[in-house]
Amino acid sequence: MYILLTVLIVVLFAWYLSFSASRLDRLHHRVETSWEHLDALLQRRAALALEISHLCELDPATEFLLTESAYVSREDSISERSDAERSLSESMNFLKSAATNGEINVPLPLLEELTSLTEKITFAILIHLEAVTSVEKMRARFIYKFFRLAGRAKLPIRYSFEEDVIK
Amino acid sequence: MVISLSGDARQLKIGIVCPYGWDVPGGVQVHVKELAEHFIAAGHQVSVIAPVSDESAALEPWLVSAGRPVSIPFNGSVARVLFGPIAASRVRQWIAAGDFDVLHLHEPGIPSLSLLACWSAEGPMVGTFHASTPRMRAIAAAGGLIEPMIEKLGARIAVSEMAHETMTSLYGTSAVIIPNGIDYAHYASGRADIEQRLSSTLKIGFLGRFEEERKGLPLLLKSLPAIIKRNPSVELLVAGPGDSSKISAALDPLIRKHVKFLGRLSHQGKAEFLQSLHLYVAPNTGGESFGIIIAEAMAAGAAVVASDIPAFRALLADGANGSLFANEDPISLADAINFLSSNHDALARLSRAGIEAALQYDWSAVASRILSVYESAMAGHGKVGIGSESASWKRGR
Repeated sequence: MYILLTVLIVVLFAWYLSFSASRLDRLHHRVETSWEHLDALLQRRAALALEISHLCELDPATEFLLTESAYVSREDSISERSDAERSLSESMNFLKSAATNGEINVPLPLLEELTSLTEKITFAILIHLEAVTSVEKMRARFIYKFFRLAGRAKLPIRYSFEEDVIK
Repeated sequence: MVISLSGDARQLKIGIVCPYGWDVPGGVQVHVKELAEHFIAAGHQVSVIAPVSDESAALEPWLVSAGRPVSIPFNGSVARVLFGPIAASRVRQWIAAGDFDVLHLHEPGIPSLSLLACWSAEGPMVGTFHASTPRMRAIAAAGGLIEPMIEKLGARIAVSEMAHETMTSLYGTSAVIIPNGIDYAHYASGRADIEQRLSSTLKIGFLGRFEEERKGLPLLLKSLPAIIKRNPSVELLVAGPGDSSKISAALDPLIRKHVKFLGRLSHQGKAEFLQSLHLYVAPNTGGESFGIIIAEAMAAGAAVVASDIPAFRALLADGANGSLFANEDPISLADAINFLSSNHDALARLSRAGIEAALQYDWSAVASRILSVYESAMAGHGKVGIGSESASWKRGR
């Protein structure tokens, strides 16, 4: 009788561990896919920034800021990239308000794409950070630490440019 | 991995789950219906599954019935929801047959169809959270139990700041805030200028399930004597489903002649009703998350008077787009109405501010944001399929 009970408890516990591990696995997957989506949008933004700087008559300072941060954004080194995304966000915001006020002449389709892309990036960051937060919270729990349910998966990283956007 | 760069141009197969009974009017049902119609008009393929009480009635071609809902008291009203093994299997069949690119679940946090769908499906899923009330805690004291089930949602939408707070306190997660949408053109087309309306006697309107205390009709009736004193010819028009005979019988005959019950209005009738008003009053005492009817009244050009509960305060931009009165205070309500009825300039200003503000809630703006969230949820996933929680090793990536 006791043996049966013990076996039952062990089986249930093993099921619970496997269930928990698959939950975490799914969240890790979500962090990856949401980052990939965000990454793709950021690449689109960098491309758009270059296009705008080629097509529009910008003052040299703005043009330098825009192209410089756009080029760095397309590089892979992530520590530099976060700063570049940050300055790109700022210069794009500046560009947008200057264009809406009529100070700079940006073709309407490009301006519309910039507006919709900015919103998409904001959403993508919110969605990505939600996944990151969930993973962090889950991995902080005792059972996940003690049984090393995360395996060798790295903790997701937060970048400063992300926090910038949602402020 | 395929990442769609064209984005907006792609046509999607979208499955939407509505948790509440389709035949009873309510904010979530209207939201789902109009969202579906907007997506269909934009060229997407949409299928909606919802509980339906009367399956013999003519249903929209894109609607699938999951069975008859049961009534349970929830959030100060009666919610008509559906769960159980038969509903679960109908949802599974619908998901399996649908071949959806994305599944959009409404109110997945309460035990109903949406939760069943979330439990059954694997793949890109988006959840929209509508409710905002501390009373949610009672039903979802099981927040910790529900969270693992709705963890599969690739992205979450809250319809307002308040809905977001409720969600955060229950599940500890955050979301993108996208407001509810309205068909702006439907309420705006053919409306007369407020100046033109002001030439007739004062018309005040209320729309909703007036038998429910929290919708605030009793409060409005209590403030009526003070309003009649200042505006002897005022008319209060009450629209919405329910039995008006009891409420009407309880009224003083002198007051009763100022009150007219219109019953449930058609889609067109609702627009005409709102366009005929000087003032739309929303005396709701709480439990509101957004207040879509207020946005519709604004689009129709009625000046809005609303209780200062957080949802309405946000929607009316702290009083810039409508007049706010102290919640549950009939004297404050009467004062607000009397002030506007004797200050036509202020009333006209509110009407114009409301028209301007309502534009941002038009479906064209709201639906494109929802599509952006779909894109986020779909990235890196295939289509929606049937998953099995108990056999997670079979889960395809």
